[in-house]
Amino acid sequence: MRRLRGRSLWPAAALAAALVALPLVGNDFLAYQVALFLIYGIATQGVALCWGRLGFLPLGHALFFGLGAYLAGGTAKAGVAQPLWWLAFPLALLLPALLAWVVARLVFARRMRSGPYFSLITLAMTMLGFLAAQQWTGLTGGFNGMGDIPEPPGLERFSTLYWLVAAAAVASTAALGVLVGRPLGVLWRAIAQNEERLQLFGYATDRIKANAYALSALLAAGAGALFATHQGIVTPQAMSFVLATEFVIWAAVGGKASPLGALLGAVIVGYASAELRDHFATWEVFVGLLFIAVVRFLPEGLSGLAGMKVLRAARPRLAPVPAPPARAPRQVPALVYDNVRSSQGGVRILDGLSFRLEGPGIRAVIGPNGAGKTSAFNVLTGHLPVIGGRILAGGRDVTGQAAWRVARMGVGRKLQVPSVFAELTVRENLCVALWAGRLNAPAALRNAPHAWHTPLLDEMLGCFPELAASLDEPAGRLSQGHRQALEFVMTVLPEPHLLLLDEPCAGLSPAETHQMIQVIQRAVRRLNAAALLIEHDLAAVAALQGEVYVFHQGRMLAQGSLQAMQADVAVRAVYAGARK
Amino acid sequence: MTMDGGTLLHSLNLVYELATLALTTLGLAVVFGLLGVMNMAHGEFVMIGAYSVVAVQQWGLPTIAAFPLAIAVCAALGWVVERWLIRPLYRRPFDTLLATWALAMLMRKVVEAIWGKGFRNVDNALTVAVPIGDTSYPAYRLGLIALAIVLLAALSFWYRRSSAGLRVRAMTGNPILAQALGIDTQRLASRTFVVGVVFAGAAGVMLAPLIRVEPGIGVDYLLDGFFVLVVGGLGTLGGFAGGVGVIGGSQALVSSIAGQTSGYAVVLIISILFLWLKPDGIFSRR
Amino acid sequence: MSDASLAFEDVVCGYGDTMVVRGVTGWVEPGRVLGIVGRNGVGKSTLLKALAGFLPVSRGRVRWRGEDLRSVPAHARLSAGLAYAPQENVVFGELSVAENLWLHLPDRNPARYAALLEAFPRLTERLKQRAGLLSGGERKLLSFTRTLGVQATLSMLDEPTEGVQPENIDRMARLVRALKASGRSFAIVEQNLTFIEQVADDVLVLDHGECVRAGSMAALGREALERHLLV
Repeated sequence: MRRLRGRSLWPAAALAAALVALPLVGNDFLAYQVALFLIYGIATQGVALCWGRLGFLPLGHALFFGLGAYLAGGTAKAGVAQPLWWLAFPLALLLPALLAWVVARLVFARRMRSGPYFSLITLAMTMLGFLAAQQWTGLTGGFNGMGDIPEPPGLERFSTLYWLVAAAAVASTAALGVLVGRPLGVLWRAIAQNEERLQLFGYATDRIKANAYALSALLAAGAGALFATHQGIVTPQAMSFVLATEFVIWAAVGGKASPLGALLGAVIVGYASAELRDHFATWEVFVGLLFIAVVRFLPEGLSGLAGMKVLRAARPRLAPVPAPPARAPRQVPALVYDNVRSSQGGVRILDGLSFRLEGPGIRAVIGPNGAGKTSAFNVLTGHLPVIGGRILAGGRDVTGQAAWRVARMGVGRKLQVPSVFAELTVRENLCVALWAGRLNAPAALRNAPHAWHTPLLDEMLGCFPELAASLDEPAGRLSQGHRQALEFVMTVLPEPHLLLLDEPCAGLSPAETHQMIQVIQRAVRRLNAAALLIEHDLAAVAALQGEVYVFHQGRMLAQGSLQAMQADVAVRAVYAGARK
Repeated sequence: MTMDGGTLLHSLNLVYELATLALTTLGLAVVFGLLGVMNMAHGEFVMIGAYSVVAVQQWGLPTIAAFPLAIAVCAALGWVVERWLIRPLYRRPFDTLLATWALAMLMRKVVEAIWGKGFRNVDNALTVAVPIGDTSYPAYRLGLIALAIVLLAALSFWYRRSSAGLRVRAMTGNPILAQALGIDTQRLASRTFVVGVVFAGAAGVMLAPLIRVEPGIGVDYLLDGFFVLVVGGLGTLGGFAGGVGVIGGSQALVSSIAGQTSGYAVVLIISILFLWLKPDGIFSRR
Repeated sequence: MSDASLAFEDVVCGYGDTMVVRGVTGWVEPGRVLGIVGRNGVGKSTLLKALAGFLPVSRGRVRWRGEDLRSVPAHARLSAGLAYAPQENVVFGELSVAENLWLHLPDRNPARYAALLEAFPRLTERLKQRAGLLSGGERKLLSFTRTLGVQATLSMLDEPTEGVQPENIDRMARLVRALKASGRSFAIVEQNLTFIEQVADDVLVLDHGECVRAGSMAALGREALERHLLV
């Protein structure tokens, strides 16, 4: 897939040209009709933002569209008599966005895999809105709708309003196109690909998702406000699940990963439907079949077919800039497990695990299957519930904390199955790790963080020249060995002071294992960190020359040097099944 | 001690609401509660059942013929959908949701193309009212209530005791082990899915004389069904009954006091709270 | 090598694009036990999963009674004479112990499990209990009992003694030896060398996904195996 050379504003510029030409080539009435679908298109872009970028599907976006329409219509009508009401106009956009933010925070905070349930909730909310719009006749005009909405001051509905709508469409396409290339956009894509991994770097992903949802609601509400002034009347249909489904269809067919695609999906399919549905009774059936076909076989929609997928801005090669210091704590936190117990599915996984880790250095963790090694890591990073005992890090009780909170305390974790962001490039993967603990909200919107580097990053790339050579390749195409290397580098970039490394040499050849161990030792020394390393490879453990912890049946069996463990009778019994 | 007519009527209406909720949710309890498939077209299968009655009356056939028609259509459609839409997306709940939502839309549009968007009324032969205590209640509704109770009892018995139920329970708990013991999990899943959508269709047939039959009725049944399962938990009969009680009861109660919109709002809020605080529901075993 | 046996040649399998088993050859003859040993992560369970049909075999051949096994889906292997007991999730937690034992059998002839249940009275005591309430070792016993009760020609067991009490391990070994004598064969992945010593006729040692030692138990001896196992 060739990267298109061009700025991220290319689609918006093309759109602007087309929209300027339209009233000249066609006529005012055509422009009026197209404007309606441009308005729908902006709301569709909101859906595409959540679904195509972040990976969760709002099934009820018509709620915000309708809310924006009713609120805007109401304030506009009130503004005729009392012009001060126009000051309340921005509320038509802000209130729906606030509602979206609150609901998303509530639903995403608790449960990471809540994607499908979230979709259901948005749908239910739209149904509720539809009901309310029909029944609260005093406010909304009920079934017949809120009519007589005036035009915006200075604009004429059937001629000059078109330019406002066109400008809004171009602006939203441009803004979304630019945002995708900024660090925030990279984080969005990372969430869609591997949210769990992102949390392990300390990113509060539920908040990022909620903010994005609020932004998409803002777009929908803005479109709704334009709708109210464009049509002059708002009926409950503007808040119906039928309209919400149409947004999803247009986003799917046009292309959910492309803002321009989503907009064009609404314009082309929507306009065609409006013209054809009265002529052909089966037109709607055809659209339904098209939707199923797209969902099943063409996930990127028609714009994906046309090769418009994710226009990556050819980023000007900015000169490397030193990154701001990491916010992770500077000390090695003393780690204490105090009689930790954990169960899952009725099986006791950890059965009173206790140990104390103080000071920098690498300790190896070994033990037979089911001993609880990975589980010991899982309880620290919030992946496994603790039913008894405590875990203390740096003196603070961290039992049961969310993964991202623990990461922000300076804990870095490398997972058992090498876990990277497969569809981001290697460079973007490294950026995501580098930004952890360094990126604040304003920086997330600027280009500069793409050029950040730290001495540690340079050193790591020096140790793994094969990574340095494939910076622009998607990380998913790396071999197992390179993926292990990438994930390790990502784990150390935020400069944590406690490293939990789970089988970093799994799947590596003996030569690669040797190299990995050396790099691990180097990084740990540089960070002056403490590291716990789960390994099965005898050669690797021997090369580490550090202390060895032996786990068995969810408890610590013995600790000491490797030679001492190999000679220990109890350890031998556990491994070889000799009778004690 | 006799209840006065008004209270008795209210109680019967409440039981009736719970019974219809149970009947329309049963299919989803099988498909989502047992198989874990988020079938967003569940309500549309109910709708097809209702339209079977419309079709049958249009063609001048006896109303009872709607049952075999609905069962045949739902079974055939269910088999095709499971094979071509659900099975390829089995481990991806999100894609399943979207694919079945697309299917729901398609089903609505087909019905609209044939019968139009307006609503139909279906003739009800059994309009006789049965006197109970101080009041009287339509016989058809009483029959529905009785049927719901019998069906739930029979299903519970089948699930816990029969060998087919045993195999389904094995498959949902541990599919790999089930295959190692010779259970063809693909075929079993397909059959279970078909049973689920057939239940939905049958519920639609039974409800047709009591509701306005129009293409858009599916979404309400879908959402109510999901709310019942979220609140009650997946996979147990106790949870199902609990979910029906909480959702149906609160909706009926609040609606009678403050109107339909408030009733719906309360159900929505309860469901959001459960998803937020207790996502496994009241009685979940999974 | 007779035709009534399992034979696998140069088997390569793994997860996604990561190959864990990189060309392993072995066979199990009727009435004999093949022990598969090695440290954690070397690919023992992966190999057994592939032989049982739960992982695709990327390269190599697997033959059972002379026929290519790769076209046989996992659920059809039991009727072909192959039983499999996985390493994890070894029971149906929601079903009772009795239901776990009888689920897949059309008739409930008690004679089938008589000898087995006699050896493990703990299971008899808990026939009506939910299997999910058993301890890890008891679940392994239940899985062992069920697999042996299936009376398949070849039984593949993945770490059957994990978490089991030593007295019961002895009984398990005795039962396996008794069944060997009647012509049934076993492929057993184990880390417990005492158990392997007691039951295995042939041993396959894996390391880094490859076979590093193979031969009869008698010829290899325990010391050699221990060296490959520790850590």
